[in-house]
Amino acid sequence: MATTTRKRCGRTGVSDDPQHVPRARDGRAPDVFRHGGWVPMRCYGENDEVDFAIVGTGAGGGTLACRLAEAGFSVVALDAGPYWRPLEDFASDEHEQTKLYWTDERIVDGENPLQLGSNNSGKSVGGSTVHFAMVSLRFRPEWFKARSKLGYGADWPLDWREMWDYYTEVEQALKISGPVRYPWGPKRPRYPYRPHELNAAALVLAQGAEAMGIDWTPTPLATVSAPRGLSPPCVYRGFCTLGCSTNAKQSVLITWLPRALAAGAEIRDLAMVGRVEVNEAGLATGVHYHREGAWHFQRARNVVVAGYAIETPRLLLNSATARYPDGLANSSGLVGKNLMAQSNQAVWGLMEDEIRAYKGPPSLSMTEHWNYQDRGKDFFGGYCYMSQGPLPALWATTQAGAHGLWGDALMRDMEKYNHQVGLKIVGEMLPQKRNRVTLADEKDQYGLPIARVTYSWCDNDKRLIEHSLRFMTQALEAVDARDIWRQEDDTCHLNGTARMGDDPRTSVVNADCRSWDISNLWICDGSVFPTVGGVNPSLTIQAIACRTADRIRALAARGEL
Amino acid sequence: MRLRSRRSVQHFANPLAALDRQAGDPLLTARLDRGSAVRAAQRLNRAAGTLAIAVLFDSAMEHYRGSFHNRAMYTPLVSASLSLLASAHGTADPRSGAHKLRDGIYAFAGLAGIAGTAFHVYNIGKRPGGFSWLNLFYSAPIGAPMALSLSGMLGFLSERVRDNPPGPPPLIFGLPAGRVTAAMTSAGLLGTVGEAGLLHFRGAYHDPAMFLPVSVPPLAAALLAESAVGRSRVRRRFTTWWLRFTALLGFAGVGFHSLGVARNMGGWRNWSQNLLNGPPLPAPPSFTGLALAGLAALGLMEDHPDE
Repeated sequence: MATTTRKRCGRTGVSDDPQHVPRARDGRAPDVFRHGGWVPMRCYGENDEVDFAIVGTGAGGGTLACRLAEAGFSVVALDAGPYWRPLEDFASDEHEQTKLYWTDERIVDGENPLQLGSNNSGKSVGGSTVHFAMVSLRFRPEWFKARSKLGYGADWPLDWREMWDYYTEVEQALKISGPVRYPWGPKRPRYPYRPHELNAAALVLAQGAEAMGIDWTPTPLATVSAPRGLSPPCVYRGFCTLGCSTNAKQSVLITWLPRALAAGAEIRDLAMVGRVEVNEAGLATGVHYHREGAWHFQRARNVVVAGYAIETPRLLLNSATARYPDGLANSSGLVGKNLMAQSNQAVWGLMEDEIRAYKGPPSLSMTEHWNYQDRGKDFFGGYCYMSQGPLPALWATTQAGAHGLWGDALMRDMEKYNHQVGLKIVGEMLPQKRNRVTLADEKDQYGLPIARVTYSWCDNDKRLIEHSLRFMTQALEAVDARDIWRQEDDTCHLNGTARMGDDPRTSVVNADCRSWDISNLWICDGSVFPTVGGVNPSLTIQAIACRTADRIRALAARGEL
Repeated sequence: MRLRSRRSVQHFANPLAALDRQAGDPLLTARLDRGSAVRAAQRLNRAAGTLAIAVLFDSAMEHYRGSFHNRAMYTPLVSASLSLLASAHGTADPRSGAHKLRDGIYAFAGLAGIAGTAFHVYNIGKRPGGFSWLNLFYSAPIGAPMALSLSGMLGFLSERVRDNPPGPPPLIFGLPAGRVTAAMTSAGLLGTVGEAGLLHFRGAYHDPAMFLPVSVPPLAAALLAESAVGRSRVRRRFTTWWLRFTALLGFAGVGFHSLGVARNMGGWRNWSQNLLNGPPLPAPPSFTGLALAGLAALGLMEDHPDE
C-alpha cells in the first residue's frame, strides 16, 4: 500500500493528479513554494484522539489550524479540495481554473436565487482564499454593534477594539499591501507593505471619486508589493481571482498552512467530511470523512466546523442524531438561517482611452465613503465600491448574461474590451431568517444530502443597491464614460447561518465560536457573522480565527475546554 | 570667473569671508600646491563621472520602461553621456585652468537635472491624488533627476578648483573650495538619501540591508557638513574612512539590488522584465560618486588649510 501511495504521489516520477489523488500523506505535504517539492508533515492515526479536528482549511479553518498547532495542540485539518502547488498547477486559462470553485450540485431558490460557484466558494486546501480578490478590509467599528448603534441587524458579542488588534495580527501575517494613510475609521497601524501601483481602471475610479467629492484609496490587498520570503512581488498578471501562479497572493494556502505544518498540524486533502459524530453524553467525538473512495473516522476531543456559510450548516444539519434531531448546535433553530450574501452590483462604461482593466489585481482602488457616511442614505448598512478587471471569458459571460448581448452585438462589444471600465460594490445585505440553507432530498457524489440555498432580497437590500448604482453611474459620467449600463443582479461572499451572540436562544455560538449546545463543537468561519458589513469578509474571518485560537488557549489553561 | 568670485566675496560678512581674507595672509596661507589642486579637481571629475554613469544607466532603463513617450526623456541620456565624457577627459587632464567645453557640459547637466525635476514634479502632481505617497512611489521619481544636477555640480566645482591661481588656497565663489565642495556634497548626499529612503519605504524595507543607505550616508553627510564648517587643520580620519565605506556601499548596493532582481518572479532567468521591475541596479553608485566627491573635498582641505 505504501509503495503504491508513493508512486501515486509522484516520488517515482509518475505524474500526480491533486484533484483525484491526495498529496498530503505519508508524512509529507506539498511544498507550495517549489515545483514538485514536499515538506514534512506530522501524521496522526485515525484512532489517535487529536485535540482538534478542523473541517475546512480556508480563512477560518486554515488560520485556526495554524494558531492552534502553534499553541501546542494536536490538529488534523480536513479539506474536500485538492492541495495545489500554485507554481505548477495554475494555468493562465479562465476555464481551466474553474477547478478552484466549489461546483458540487446545489439547489438554489427564493425570489433572488444566488449564483453559486465562482465568487462565493472554493474547493481547495486554503479554501476560497486561493482565488479571492485579496481585498483585505476592516469592519467599520460600529458594525460590531449594528443593532445598538446603527439600528439594524444584530449586535456582535465582540468589541471592535479587541478586533482591531486581531486585524493587525492578520494584516501582519499576510503582509497586506495598503495605503500609507487610510482615509476612513479609527487610526490603524501602517500596513506592512506599501500600496500597489494603480492600473488605468483604478485611476478612473479615483478620478470619478474626486469629481464626486469623496475620498478614495489604493485598496489594501493580500498580494505583496515587495518580496516576502519565497513570494515574489506581484507581477500584475491579473489572474488573481483564478489562482495566483506566482505566489505573490498571500492566501491561506501559502501563509497560515505552511506555518501550521511546521507547527505539527496534519492537513488531509480530498477529505470530505460528511458527519460530525456525537456520543451519548452529547459531546462530539470526531468526524466521518470520505477520502480515496472510502469513509473514515478521525477521533478528536474537539471538532471545529469551518466549511463556510453553506457547507457548515449542511454538515451540522446532516449530523442530526436522536438527541439532536434538528442538527447539531441547533437548539436556537438558527443553524442555516440568516444567510447573508453581499450585493455585488456594477456599473460599466467605455472610456475613450485604452484602459486594459485586466492588468493587475482586479480591484486596485476603492472607496469606503458609503460605509462611513450615514447622511444621504435611505437604507441601513453600507457599501464600498472598487475598480474592476474582468478577464475576457468572464466579460463575455457578463455581456451575454447581465447585459443581454448576443451574436453580432456581443462580438462588437467584445471588441471594445480594452476600453471597458467598471465600478462594483461589495454591499451589506441584512440578515433574514427566510434566507437559509436546508437539506434537499437529493444526494451528491458522496451520498450526502445536497444543500438547498434559499435567498431573497429585502426592501433595504434593494434600496442600497439602487443607491449604489445611481452613485456609481454619476461617478462614471463624471469621467466622461459612455455607453454606461448597470449590472443589477449579482452577489458575492456568503455569511451568516450559524451566528454568534450572547444569548443561546438567539445565536448558535458564543463570542469564542463555541457552540452553546455542544461544548466541544466550534464553528469558525463566515457562518458566525451576525451581520456582514459592506466590506469583503476574509480579513474579519481570519481575525475571528486568531481570537478564537487565543480564547481556546486561555480556556485550556484554565481547564475549561 | 575668478575676479567675479573675488568681488562677490566682498559682500560676505560672515566667518567664511573672514577666512578668505586670512587666506591672503602669507603667514597663514598654505603653500601653493598647484598639483594638488589639479589632483583634487581630477578626483571631482571622477566623482562627477561616477554619478553620470549611474544617471546614464538608470535613466536609460527607466525611460526605456516608460517607452520614451516624450522626446525630452532622451535628455538625461545625452547629458549624462556628455558629463561622463567630460569627466573622463577631466580625469586625464593634468592641466590647470577651467576647460570651457567641460564647463558647458557640466552646466548643461546641472540645468537638465533641474528641468528634469520640474518635469517629474509635474508628472506627479497631475495624477489623481496629487502629491500623495502613492504618486511619489510610482510616478516619475522626484529625486532622480537631481543626480544629474549633482554630477554637473561636481564637475562644475572641479573646474573651479582647477581654475585657481597660484597663491592662496583654491576658492569657489570666493569661498574655500574644500569647504564648498564638502557642503555641497553633504547636501547632495542628503538628497540622495531622501530618494533611497522614499523608494526603500515603497519596498517596505523588506530586507534589513535596505536600511544601510538611509543610515550610512546620512552620517557621512553629517561628517562632511562638520568638515565644511569646522577647523581645516584637523586630520579627519574617521570622516575619511566613513566616506570610503559609503563609496563601497554604493558599489555593494549594486550587489544588493541584483539580489533584489533575483527575488522577482523568474529571477535573473527573466532578466528582461526583472531588470525593469526590480530595484534599479545603477542607482546605488550615486552614493559612490558623492562619497568620492566628499573625499576630494577632504583632500582639498587637508592640502590647503584655510586657517
